[in-house]
Amino acid sequence: MNPLPSRREFLKHSYLGLGSLALMDLLAGDAGASAGSAANPLLPRPAHLPAKAKHCIFLFMEGGVSQMDTFEYRPVLDKYAGRQMPSVRGTDLDVASLGTAHNRIIPSPFSFARHGQSGRWMSELLPHLSTCVDDMAFLHGVTVDSSNHAPAVYHSLTGQILPGGAAIGAWMTYGLGSENRNLPGFIVLGQGAPAVGGASQWSHGFLPAVHQGTLFRPGSNPIADLHPPAGTSPRSRRNELDLLKWLNWRHAGQRTRTGDLEARIAAYEMAFQMQSAAPELIDLSGESEATRKLYGLDDPVAGTFGRQCLMARRMVERGVRFVKLLHGKGKPWDQHGDLAGRLPVLCHEVDQPIAGLLKDLKSRGMLEETLVVWASEMGRTPFDSNVVSDKPGRDHNRFGLVMWMAGGDVRPGATFGETDEFALRSAGESLPVRDVHATLLRLMGLDQHQLSFLHAGRFKRLTDIGGRVIDEILL
Amino acid sequence: MAVTRIPHRLIGLLLQAMLAPCLALGEPTDPIFEKEVKPLLLARCHACHSEGEQTSGFSVSSLHSVISGGNKHGKAVLEGNAEASPLVRLLKGQLHPRMPLGGVLAESEIARIEDWIRSLQPAAGVQAEAWLWPFRQPVKTVPPEVENAGWVRNPIDRFILQRLEQESGLSPAPPASRRTLARRLYLDLVGMPPTPEEMQRFLDNPSPNAYEKLVDTLLADARYGERWGRHWLDLVRYGESDGMEGDILIGNAWRYRDWVIESFNSDLPYDRFVTLQLAGGDEHSRKAWYKPEIQGHIPAGFLRLAPWDLGNLASEQLRQDFLDEVTTATGSIFLGLTVGCARCHDHKYDPIPARDYYRFQAFFNAIRVPLPPNTSGIPPEEFVVPYQDPHFRTLAESKIRQYRERLENGAEKRELERFEQALLDRLISKKMSEATSDRLTAKDLELELARKEQRVYSAEEKAAYDRLKERAGRTLEQTDHRALARYEAWLLEKLTAAYAAGTTDPAGRFRALTLADVRAEARRVNRPSKYFTREEKQRHLELSDTMEVLRRRLLRWRPLALTVTNVIGPPLGPGIPATRVLKGGDYRQPGEAVEPGFPSAFTGSDAAAVLEKDRYRQYPTRGRRMTLARWIASPRNPLTARVMVNRIWQQRFGRGIVETSSDFGRNGDRPTHPELLDWLAVRFAQEGWSVKALHRLMLTSSTYRQSADNPGVGGAASDPENRLLWRFERRRLEAEAIRDSILSASGRLNPERRGPSVFPPLPEDMKDLSRPARAGGSMWEPNERERDARRRSVYIFQRRSLPLPLMASFDAPVFNESCERRSVTTTPLQALSMMNGRLVNEEAAHLAARVEREAGGRREDQVARLFEIALSRPPDPAEQQQFMEFRGSLEALCRVMLNSNEFLFVD
Repeated sequence: MNPLPSRREFLKHSYLGLGSLALMDLLAGDAGASAGSAANPLLPRPAHLPAKAKHCIFLFMEGGVSQMDTFEYRPVLDKYAGRQMPSVRGTDLDVASLGTAHNRIIPSPFSFARHGQSGRWMSELLPHLSTCVDDMAFLHGVTVDSSNHAPAVYHSLTGQILPGGAAIGAWMTYGLGSENRNLPGFIVLGQGAPAVGGASQWSHGFLPAVHQGTLFRPGSNPIADLHPPAGTSPRSRRNELDLLKWLNWRHAGQRTRTGDLEARIAAYEMAFQMQSAAPELIDLSGESEATRKLYGLDDPVAGTFGRQCLMARRMVERGVRFVKLLHGKGKPWDQHGDLAGRLPVLCHEVDQPIAGLLKDLKSRGMLEETLVVWASEMGRTPFDSNVVSDKPGRDHNRFGLVMWMAGGDVRPGATFGETDEFALRSAGESLPVRDVHATLLRLMGLDQHQLSFLHAGRFKRLTDIGGRVIDEILL
Repeated sequence: MAVTRIPHRLIGLLLQAMLAPCLALGEPTDPIFEKEVKPLLLARCHACHSEGEQTSGFSVSSLHSVISGGNKHGKAVLEGNAEASPLVRLLKGQLHPRMPLGGVLAESEIARIEDWIRSLQPAAGVQAEAWLWPFRQPVKTVPPEVENAGWVRNPIDRFILQRLEQESGLSPAPPASRRTLARRLYLDLVGMPPTPEEMQRFLDNPSPNAYEKLVDTLLADARYGERWGRHWLDLVRYGESDGMEGDILIGNAWRYRDWVIESFNSDLPYDRFVTLQLAGGDEHSRKAWYKPEIQGHIPAGFLRLAPWDLGNLASEQLRQDFLDEVTTATGSIFLGLTVGCARCHDHKYDPIPARDYYRFQAFFNAIRVPLPPNTSGIPPEEFVVPYQDPHFRTLAESKIRQYRERLENGAEKRELERFEQALLDRLISKKMSEATSDRLTAKDLELELARKEQRVYSAEEKAAYDRLKERAGRTLEQTDHRALARYEAWLLEKLTAAYAAGTTDPAGRFRALTLADVRAEARRVNRPSKYFTREEKQRHLELSDTMEVLRRRLLRWRPLALTVTNVIGPPLGPGIPATRVLKGGDYRQPGEAVEPGFPSAFTGSDAAAVLEKDRYRQYPTRGRRMTLARWIASPRNPLTARVMVNRIWQQRFGRGIVETSSDFGRNGDRPTHPELLDWLAVRFAQEGWSVKALHRLMLTSSTYRQSADNPGVGGAASDPENRLLWRFERRRLEAEAIRDSILSASGRLNPERRGPSVFPPLPEDMKDLSRPARAGGSMWEPNERERDARRRSVYIFQRRSLPLPLMASFDAPVFNESCERRSVTTTPLQALSMMNGRLVNEEAAHLAARVEREAGGRREDQVARLFEIALSRPPDPAEQQQFMEFRGSLEALCRVMLNSNEFLFVD
């Protein structure tokens, strides 16, 4: 059987896709890492700028989280309870998707208290996160360009409101590669329900396809077709792979310039390795009882997201560059109705798991090099949804998005941006989401201007026309 | 050019320098250049290219002098584009003589320089260096003389060979074997390998024209349109859902898909093909009375295929997004120009001012988009375009009849009705049993008002309420809402009093509950229902989804078109809105109004276009798109023919003559054989725009018939990327061809053509996606018939949020934007789906059964037959032996074969 070709030999003959090179580099291991990094998108690449964070965990709450019931204390709403919103800047549909002609202000049904040394006001719905506020930095009044879910999701996750853009995770592996050789560099952990926009949310867009996010599904088969059909014996599968390898090497041996052929041969070996790496990754049985408690795994409400959060830690531990966690089956945070009844459940689902993740990362010394980001596609209005109901909820609000970050070079306890007294929109200068993206990239050591890709005649960037790095929340 | 171009990043540095007063302003500098590149150039090039020496006018002494280059190749560094930069090409030996003279830079050194060039970004707002080739009329030159005239089969070969003879060390590869050629033709033209019998027939054909005849046979094969049509569908961002929230189905896009396939099969002239897509339904003869050709509305579906936010209520923004998308797509698909770049500002590279962008866009501004038939809750606007083929019409009519009957009175319908009625009875009785008369809400009020008999309210009161409600809903005025609210409050008071007084039974209001209430209660999510069990809710969802699928099928078989029309225009409706130049591309910042006009880079003027109107100008809103289409689909347009010729070339040879096949502009790649491209383009337009004739010309050239291996050319060739075509470019099959080839090998491909799209099963562990979602039906549907799952891949339903994993892993495009050329990546996920996936495992079993059927029980014969079926050749002795010695089933051997490189690559 032929040995693998030498790296030099391979590079000499290779002219094809970057993907081929990526695989060969993965096989070659660290020894080959320096030589071909220019051509290989998945090898770890040096950052443009110094930064502590090496990995990113991106927590995405689908549907639009109400800022005035979670992180923004607005006692003034009590004063105006039930009254028409005094004045709304911009047109109706600009602020609220269902219009503002007829509305009532709803005070938050939840109480707030100050927490931590930073004295931050937090809603009673987030008791666990309230103990972490001194590690978090908040952004208020972030603005996206559409009040509808799909475009807002695309805008906050890919930088453009139409599908077809590259997701933040894809930009990060494009800029930095990934450190793990047996797992994808950009993993999406969903809850098994179709997300708004589906695969377009974690698409590589116009970047090479090696950067697309790989969706991990709940259950024992995280990746589609990870295992042979039931009843296949490992021995006979190995025999098949050996014969296949023999056939493919023979085929390649009769040809010249076989880089792409050899890359495909290598891919089968990698797939074989992934079959053991992926189950090991999702197997939580080795985690201690204390860890399970920390993430709330035994809590029937919080357990699902707790498992996702714990899995995220295990992924970054293994060098995965970017992990995106999706919370929610079918945008549950979209509370047009029954705010008082439903929000507590959702907060319960995520509060302890996220706090557990922050504490776990911190105690393991991993928070230094892991950037944790919490986001949603938009905020909500202080007034009701213009839907007659005895259980009111809140409408979409593209001006009022609240986000927070922790870890890496994030300045603990910092806050930037402030919304008006109704938490409706930014009180000062606006904070477009591209500024957040610029900051995210900066925190990972990437310069938004250098990280570009020529597509359809333009150098595309995550931040499009460029955003401002929000220095105020950086160390 | 007098204007000095300063890289973007340098401007940033300059700005920094200006802002920091302590820094002295000097020549612009760049840290990467200073640190990484300059020392290298000084060490290796300074002897000849110093400030004093300046051989060929080139000096490496400063950033500026390196970028601006010498007098032989012009600018040496094209910012951001390392591959095209003469500096790099000289260092790599792609331009002669290779630099440094007599030496070679190490690969890693060249990579460092390339990295630096990639890091540079072209300057903003600086006047573009002229690249006018795209805007000049192509000229048909005489094909050049070559030394090795014996190699030449047709003029293409002259152009190709001339370049090879110019370059040192390059010569054409020997011709591929007849077997290889036949297999290559099948895979390229019909997208699946030949059957062993087809291969044998070709090999046995003694005619000297056997190859040419095979080309003709395959071009006449209906599978050709399915294969080549797929590339066009990539280009036009073909999809069947809106890609946004809920991924709403956009209508019968499949009719456009079938039109594309049939157009290629019937070799519809390309100028007509273009015209119909841009102006279908907008055409007119010059008679006074005319009706647009109704069938033209199918190709006009081109204008509707993009992702489109049907849920967006901000209609002005939605319309502008639509116009921008159509403008951008038209520019890149038909003209190979990145017109879309001029949306927010003048194009930075090509001579397209923002004003021209909006003049171009104005051609589309008469478009009115009918609502899709299945936007829930909104009355559909049906646009019927009858089926032309009588057989298909008969089939569709019987399907329609069948689905109508099932929907109106089928078993599914009756079951759902029975189930809902039972739920309603329970809902009423439960609600009545817990009825109270306090804390009444608007919902209670509605129920009481809905009671037919007069219990609490008089007919006048009910009528007054209806009036107020209708008015408030219509005007959205605060005063009307307040009036309604006041009246509601009064009615509620009256209701509370009546219930409390005991004159009216409070429970009685629940008799007004309807099936709509049952459905609302059953669809409640995130919260258990007080009235229905979880199982009942699930059952209701499934029964409703069955009905929804039937409704969808009915709509799909009905002859509805996905298309656009024109606004009606005065006196019956509003005219065409003015097109305005939008500041920064923002619809909220309209500027100067512009008239429809062709880009000034082509015409040299920005005068308005003369619109083609009907003779009596009866239809003032018609003719805009027609005018544009006539201008594009014309031999006088310098780009249309070139762009299409180049696309066909790309599919045939793996890479376009202009590699960036949708960007012929300055930022795109330069043509490798400009004279050949022009020669082909002129010929294409002169000879009736026949796409098949072009294919034939390319396929019968010696260039195409080369082997993929060229032993005469060493590894260190001056053209490692084979840009000059000194061999055939071996390539992996596309996702669709892989799936089709597997099904064809197993003998189970369902060759049926046309009709609504099909749903191959999802992988086992994604099953939940084929179950009904909470609203709007399931993401992935069951097929009408089991064998639909085995139709060709071009007929797979294109749901934007749910690409089939096997397809996506083999680089099928994310059909959101136009895709002119697919990437080819190799990942372990591909290996997983090919070894473990349902398709390969099922078809391997069927392939084994086929082999056994055709070759009998002896393993030796089986192996031979397997090779013939999958690889179109017999096994050699070593292969025969390895396969014989394999300890495992025939099915396992089949699986190995379907996974082999030889099966998946075009050689």
